[in-house]
Amino acid sequence: MTAALQITELRKQYPTGPEALKGVSLTIEPGEFFGLLGPNGAGKSTLIHCTTGLASPSSGAIEVFGHDAIDHYGKARQLVGLAPQDLNLDHFLTLEETLDFHGGYFGMPKKERKERAAELLDAFSLTAKRKERTRTLSGGMKRRLILARALMHRPELLILDEPTAGVDVELRLELWQYVQRINQEGTTILLTTHYLEEAEQLCSRIAFINGGEIVAEGTSPELARTYGVSSLEDAYLELVGRKELSRASMAEISS
Amino acid sequence: MSAAQIRFFSLLRREVSRFWKIKRQTVGAPLLETFLYISVFGAALGSRIKELEGFDYVVFVVPGLIMMAWATNAFSNNSSSILQQKFQRAIDDQLSSPSSPLELLLAFSFGGFLRGMLVALLTFTASAILVGIPIEHPFVLLLALFLVGFFFAQLGVLVGVRAEQFDDVSFAQQFVLQPLIFLGGVFYSASLLPEPFETITHFNPVYYMIGTVRYGFLGFDEESVTLSLLGLLLATGALFALNLRLFRKGYRLRA
Repeated sequence: MTAALQITELRKQYPTGPEALKGVSLTIEPGEFFGLLGPNGAGKSTLIHCTTGLASPSSGAIEVFGHDAIDHYGKARQLVGLAPQDLNLDHFLTLEETLDFHGGYFGMPKKERKERAAELLDAFSLTAKRKERTRTLSGGMKRRLILARALMHRPELLILDEPTAGVDVELRLELWQYVQRINQEGTTILLTTHYLEEAEQLCSRIAFINGGEIVAEGTSPELARTYGVSSLEDAYLELVGRKELSRASMAEISS
Repeated sequence: MSAAQIRFFSLLRREVSRFWKIKRQTVGAPLLETFLYISVFGAALGSRIKELEGFDYVVFVVPGLIMMAWATNAFSNNSSSILQQKFQRAIDDQLSSPSSPLELLLAFSFGGFLRGMLVALLTFTASAILVGIPIEHPFVLLLALFLVGFFFAQLGVLVGVRAEQFDDVSFAQQFVLQPLIFLGGVFYSASLLPEPFETITHFNPVYYMIGTVRYGFLGFDEESVTLSLLGLLLATGALFALNLRLFRKGYRLRA
């Protein structure tokens, strides 16, 4: 079966600074909910940016459902939806326009754009605000709109770059429910997050990335076993070399 | 419409909707500015200058003002729009779409081009009613204005892509563009200038642009119109080729 995302020996060297990706290879199967975890600066966003055309890889290959995502990217981009970490909404546009233009950039005809936008605004409880400019939205609403925008063109691979950063508990749970549902409906999901419980709860498989390299990959229990610990959190702390912060160590200190 | 056409028109619609939403600033203000020039140089000073090269002074000035309106609006629209979207990172929505570098460049270019055309058209209509402006060579006029508009649209794109802060854009506009336009002969004929200023004016490319537009309106030329148009065509082509190269490389757009 063709992989949803196939990354081979991906390297990215920014003009200044160390190599951000050092030959990363990664395969995500269709229908998977895949988590990418790692500390800040590990290369998570760079990997996502290379996949979505926001960064140019120095070398390597990226294929989305068998289509080249680097040079002849038309088909691949059509299949990918990106909800970026930054709230990168255009302040001049209304919510409806934000979705409508996005659909247009992906070649959706007008009637389909209108219907899809209405459906998503409703699904994310944004219909009442549809004629307002995006700058009037609260942080949580912006986050929801960004997810709606990523879903607008019905991508088969949805990339969520820290989608719940800075959102309140109820919105986080709401977003979890929504992405779980679309995953069950067949959309492949690549999620980066700093919330380990989020990864544990949502992801069928997780990769640890550190210093521009994939250092471990598997299910949450498999990763714990790899590091000889009992939880994903402890495995992560081993990864970043901060095992003294584990709950067991903290309990020892306080006892 | 094909998917590619929908894509392009959505990209362009976004650019037009941006300036149309703030039309008091993007269309109204430049229009008022042009009328202030016509009032000051036409009605006030013009009544004393009487004729220049056989034309009423205000009639001599209006073609330059129309060209200036198109040029400065095309430039400032594109440079501001691109920089603003880079700042908000809203441009990532277009950059991560299947749109090609050529589609992106043309859409950004025509945004400013159309704004310039609108202001120029309104200026012309009002001037024609108020003072009566002849059109001696309509084909030359259209070709010259279209080339000038497209040249400055390209220049705006280039400055917007290169700019890292708003100061970069206003520097280009206030310290480079404005002096070149003002000293290019909008308000006077170069032959009236004492040496060495008359010779220096011949090194100003805007002088030739104003010359061709004035020839289109009034049939009056100081330099070879054919050579001026050819030079303008080459310069516009070169600038377009440079911008396309930058868009393909993702220069200061993609990481």
